[in-house]
Amino acid sequence: MADDLDKYVIEIEGLVNTVGPGIILHRDLNLKVRRDEVLSLVGGSGSGKTQLLRVILGLKRPKAGRAHVFGVSWDDPNVKKVRDARRRMGMLFQNGALYSALTVYDNIAFPLRERGGLAEEDIRAIVNTKLAQVELEPRHGKLLPANLSGGMVKRVSLARALALSPDLLILDEPTAGLDPDRSEGFVRLIKRLREDHRFAVVMVTHDLDTLFELTDRVAVLADQHIIACDTLAVVRAMDHKFVQNFFGGERGRRALEHS
Amino acid sequence: MPSRDAALEIKTLAQDPVPLRARASGDWTFHGLKERSEDFARHLVEIEKQPADRIAWDLTGVGELDDAGAVWLVRAMRGSQRVDVSQGHREILNQVGQGLLVPQEPERFDPLSGVVWTGEAAAGAAEHLRDGISLLGQLALDVAGMVRRPREFPMREFSAGIFRSGVTALPVTMLVGFLVGIVLTYLSALQLKRYGADLLVINIVGVGVVRELGPMLASIISAGRSGSAITAQLGVMRVTEEVEALSVMGISITSRLVLPRVLALAVALPLVSFCTDIAALAGAMLVSSFTLGISPGAFLQALPQAVEVVNFWIGIGKSVAFGFAVAFVACHYGLRVLPNTDSLAVGVTRSVVAAITGVIILDAVFAIMLRNIG
Ligand SMILES: Nc1ncnc2c1ncn2[C@@H]1O[C@H](COP(=O)(O)OP(=O)(O)O)[C@@H](O)[C@H]1O
Ligand SMILES: [Mg+2]
Repeated sequence: MADDLDKYVIEIEGLVNTVGPGIILHRDLNLKVRRDEVLSLVGGSGSGKTQLLRVILGLKRPKAGRAHVFGVSWDDPNVKKVRDARRRMGMLFQNGALYSALTVYDNIAFPLRERGGLAEEDIRAIVNTKLAQVELEPRHGKLLPANLSGGMVKRVSLARALALSPDLLILDEPTAGLDPDRSEGFVRLIKRLREDHRFAVVMVTHDLDTLFELTDRVAVLADQHIIACDTLAVVRAMDHKFVQNFFGGERGRRALEHS
Repeated sequence: MPSRDAALEIKTLAQDPVPLRARASGDWTFHGLKERSEDFARHLVEIEKQPADRIAWDLTGVGELDDAGAVWLVRAMRGSQRVDVSQGHREILNQVGQGLLVPQEPERFDPLSGVVWTGEAAAGAAEHLRDGISLLGQLALDVAGMVRRPREFPMREFSAGIFRSGVTALPVTMLVGFLVGIVLTYLSALQLKRYGADLLVINIVGVGVVRELGPMLASIISAGRSGSAITAQLGVMRVTEEVEALSVMGISITSRLVLPRVLALAVALPLVSFCTDIAALAGAMLVSSFTLGISPGAFLQALPQAVEVVNFWIGIGKSVAFGFAVAFVACHYGLRVLPNTDSLAVGVTRSVVAAITGVIILDAVFAIMLRNIG
């Protein structure tokens, strides 16, 4: 068991998850994420990828099944343990979810200040480091979220997600809405960050380029559960309608040539 | 995960040209440092006594290194060249070092800040007024347009507005009206009894309620209920860029968003204040019959003679104006909300305060204008 804890950051077993008035979205879903891998979650639009991330993040309580992150269930009565586990993960929401009333600087400083224990000048150094890591300049710190471009919003929220040096980074469609140059930049960014600090990444993406570049394993969400979770080569060879549509065709070939 | 706390060993080699050797080991993470923060504060003092180039650093024993640990190390090393460190950690230290170098912008004191502030406040007030006037003008144009093309009138929004700010407001305004009617009658009755002018209570309370209190109560409660709701709704639409989406589609914001709300409240408020009048008079009737012995029948018979009908129409007319004013102010503030949550909160607060103040000012103006009538 202790061995397992060390190996997996996320363990989901027999998950049943419903939305709205009892619509079953996931049924008997199993997923394990290793502690130093990049796992991509793919699935059709509306198949419940975001909802699955919400369960992982503890924003949603599943109907049944086991969902442990860092070996902790979100229902654990030990508040401190749950909070520590929470602080070990960073989340990049689909639309950024920056605090609109705070500047870019304060958005990134927010988790650091909340955690406490750091002097303001140390926080300043870390915020500036994070800004540089996501290729923004110190002067951008003064802007409000409403005055950012879409790509900048993504990068600022990535910087915020990275502020506490998480061991698990969750990305919901990180490159959606970015131009190809920017998504390549994003991929480079994640790659470089992982060289310094080997955190796990769970990523929802429709972007094949990003997928080929970053992913160690691919989990396919279809028919209400994870139908496969394996390396790209194995998953691509599967005989399933969604998989064939997703990887097949012109789009898949093009992305493959690039990589 | 097994984690080892950060540790720092400092050795002194007296005869060496570099007499201090600092060896770091363990996990240099926020948590690793926090457990031993006092030790590290002491270490830092010790290290800072020596010039940076007299300390040699050995960081090869460091396990995990995060930003908090790196900040501490970079501070302590002060740009020293004598550092033995793995490639990955050197990269982190460099990045954090760059972050530390970013100068903090000094907060300069500007002796003219008071003047600037006053000027900006004045300019802001002027802009406010200009926006308000242009919204009013646009509204007038929209009304003219609607008269010519009545089929474009946003009927659904209008009727929904009447329901929301009229029908659903009735319970609370009528309850308040009833209670105020009771209090007012009771107080008046106490005074009038002393002069034996009991029947005058119908005049005082009747005119007061129909001409002043009914419309005022209704519009102040509406400013709190409907005014805040309108500002919040338009404000959120600003935050989520729905307003922009409308104008991009070529839909006039004033005719689609402002006009139906303003008209709805201008129609609903007189109806609400009529019901408030009735509730307040019912309260008055109740108290009169208990404390003064005026039977409800006598009360109702005396009422038309005591209160000229023109007073009622003045009250209703004022309610129309108040309803218009409350909704207009609420829309004005809602459309000025900037796309952030703070601005939304400020906008709603200001809208309610401005609407209530505006209603009271308007009422004073009406009182002066109509002093010879009724
Ligand atoms: N509160 C809700 N009530 C009903 N259906 C919902 C609710 N929330 C999400 N859904 C449905 O759940 C499905 C999965 O949503 P989501 O996880 O966002 O999909 P995606 O895989 O595209 O991220 C969608 O079909 C959505 O309509
Ligand atoms: Mg989604």
